[in-house]
Amino acid sequence: MQRICLYLCLTCCILLAAKPFTAPCLAGENLSVSGRLDLRGVAALDRDSEEEYPSLTGRLKLDTPPSQWRFHSWLEGGWDGTVELPARDHALLKKFDEVYQSNTPFLEFKELYVGIVANDLELRAGIQRFAWGRLDEYPINDLLNPWDYTRFILRPLEDRKIGVPSLSANLYKGDWSLDAVWVPVLVPYRLPLPDERWFGRSILSEFSRTADAEIVPDEPDLPPRTLENGAVGLRAQHSTGDIEWALNFFHGFDPRPVFKTTALAITPRSGKIRIDPGYVPDFHKITSFGLDAAAIAGDWSLRAEAAYTLDRVFNTRQELWGYPAAPAPGLFPLAPNQHRSDTVAYGAGADYRIAEDVLLTLQAQQTVILNRPETLYDRKFEALLWGNLKVFLMNQKVETNLNIAYNPEHGDGMGKVNLWYTFTDSWKAGVTAVAFTGPAQSLFGRYSDNDQVEVEIRYAW
Amino acid sequence: MNSKQVSREGLPRIRPLLLVRTGCLVLLLLALPAMTTHAMSGREVYEKVHQLRSRALDRKTEATMVLFDKRGGTRSRTLTEYSKKADPEAYKVLVVFRSPADLKGVGFLIHARTFAERDLWAYFPEYKRVRRIPSTSQDDSFFGSDFSYDDFGGPPNLDDYKFNILKEEIIDGRPCYKVEVTPKVRRKYSKYIAWVAKDLWVTQKIDYYQDDTIYRAGVFTDVRTIDGIPTPFQLKVENRKTGHRTELTVESIEYHTDFPDELFTQRALERGGK
Repeated sequence: MQRICLYLCLTCCILLAAKPFTAPCLAGENLSVSGRLDLRGVAALDRDSEEEYPSLTGRLKLDTPPSQWRFHSWLEGGWDGTVELPARDHALLKKFDEVYQSNTPFLEFKELYVGIVANDLELRAGIQRFAWGRLDEYPINDLLNPWDYTRFILRPLEDRKIGVPSLSANLYKGDWSLDAVWVPVLVPYRLPLPDERWFGRSILSEFSRTADAEIVPDEPDLPPRTLENGAVGLRAQHSTGDIEWALNFFHGFDPRPVFKTTALAITPRSGKIRIDPGYVPDFHKITSFGLDAAAIAGDWSLRAEAAYTLDRVFNTRQELWGYPAAPAPGLFPLAPNQHRSDTVAYGAGADYRIAEDVLLTLQAQQTVILNRPETLYDRKFEALLWGNLKVFLMNQKVETNLNIAYNPEHGDGMGKVNLWYTFTDSWKAGVTAVAFTGPAQSLFGRYSDNDQVEVEIRYAW
Repeated sequence: MNSKQVSREGLPRIRPLLLVRTGCLVLLLLALPAMTTHAMSGREVYEKVHQLRSRALDRKTEATMVLFDKRGGTRSRTLTEYSKKADPEAYKVLVVFRSPADLKGVGFLIHARTFAERDLWAYFPEYKRVRRIPSTSQDDSFFGSDFSYDDFGGPPNLDDYKFNILKEEIIDGRPCYKVEVTPKVRRKYSKYIAWVAKDLWVTQKIDYYQDDTIYRAGVFTDVRTIDGIPTPFQLKVENRKTGHRTELTVESIEYHTDFPDELFTQRALERGGK
């Protein structure tokens, strides 16, 4: 703990000292520099849950002014406190070919691209994040960027996204906007490490609670990094009357996590027990055709999305994977755990201005698994209901949010409340409380040990 | 003088009809200065204001906005506003924040198909999404300031209001029409009273009422003529209920710009204009 505090203080001093040097050196007429530091501490409400240490993270953004040429950089880094010390074989700079990567410490280019505008055409090349679709939190047609699932529930949607090396083109003609994106290689999603707080509950949770047990998942064998294993996205937007709509097409690897069973391996090693959990992240290509739309009706701002997806893969219930009832040292092959099916997903959201500075957002979305066997954990109809009440006070010096999410099929849910206070243009502080409930394999229930309160101090320039 | 022209007291008898006629003449003479001064109606005054604001629609403005809370704490924003007259009754406005850091890149776009019909969008870089905003939000606080979204729009539709000149007053050394403006459809305010400079047709001062109470008051000073268009360079608005106030200083303004329509698109909103 003392080393953590020392590292944090050192990092804080370096970053704060660097700010007055980097800002004037880099900033000028042709380059703007902005950045942010976040110091965060967590108090777990369940004393038996994994601890999370204080974290210090930052971001540095460089931008050229809008013109024919554009350069944009968004670098993030820091020490996120999810583990006490760096993990094995830890690399500081995040990689594009690994699933299990520690954030302690880390550097990552969320975005790094150059762009050129020629009349109505804009081309960009580099690491990019895209925001397609219309829904909040879980947009159905937003498939180009995989997510980092570390603390994803507590992070804004755009912060979860992993920037992907890509080429993009946008053509703007009158009321039409056409986007084309090519991601030449698969960038896998990232999952928390087993000893991190946000790994969540799993069928192996009981094993891991055994003293001296260490769960060590295997990195998956990614598909060959060839051009045919990239991804392509197309989007056409237009307005018809008062309705803005878009058609979306995606072909590439499903960015949503799914696992393939191998064999559970329990190995005593140097007085400890090493557990290979017997599953690895798996990757499957999908093709998705979707549409989204937005309109205004009185005080309501309405949004909707839908998509038909071919060849999505789902996991069976974990109790069917074949884990032994009484684990012991040895190798235990597990049963196949995947099923392939087409899906139809649809959802709608609405923002309603209750009063000045009071905004209610309601959202409901559902996924229909067309060819669903009884072995799947996901039901034929999987719904997600989500609501947020945002209230600003004191001329927006204070922002409060009350967020509730619920999955009626499994009865899992999440409640989150936060408050941010703006001291000055540079300093603000926030407190967030979150609680989860539900079965272990469900979206929210897997974090039911993670009820917590966290405090954050932010400095921005 | 005959007996019919003499009263019982010996005083001349004044005929009622003559009395009425004389009274009317006196009233007319008393009212004549006011009538000759209010040669314009309230509507005509605002038509002049409207004409000036329409001439000023093609412009680019760089401004600094400082928010003061009642304890003296301040927050500062810098923004760029682009505006374009699109048609006799249509216009487009793009506002982009340049600072502070948590507002940098946040933008606001208005497409007014007519002075009465407007579409509004907001862009938040944090969410990378453009959101439609209901026009019913037009009187809401503009990003925490004491200005409203409507204040950043173009000229209003005059047919939505009733106008009444109350009197004339001197404001900041300038003779002004004091005009009461009442919306025909319910707004956040029940009415506002504006002092419009007679020679320049700019608003010098404005008080917004909720029922009989002034809840928001604005003063617009340092009027300079730029390219033939009188322009206040200091705009101060105070919320009388909360004690919060906002001061907007125009750092630079350029009229008769000829921005392309592409600047007033959602793509430009996402790119932060130019």
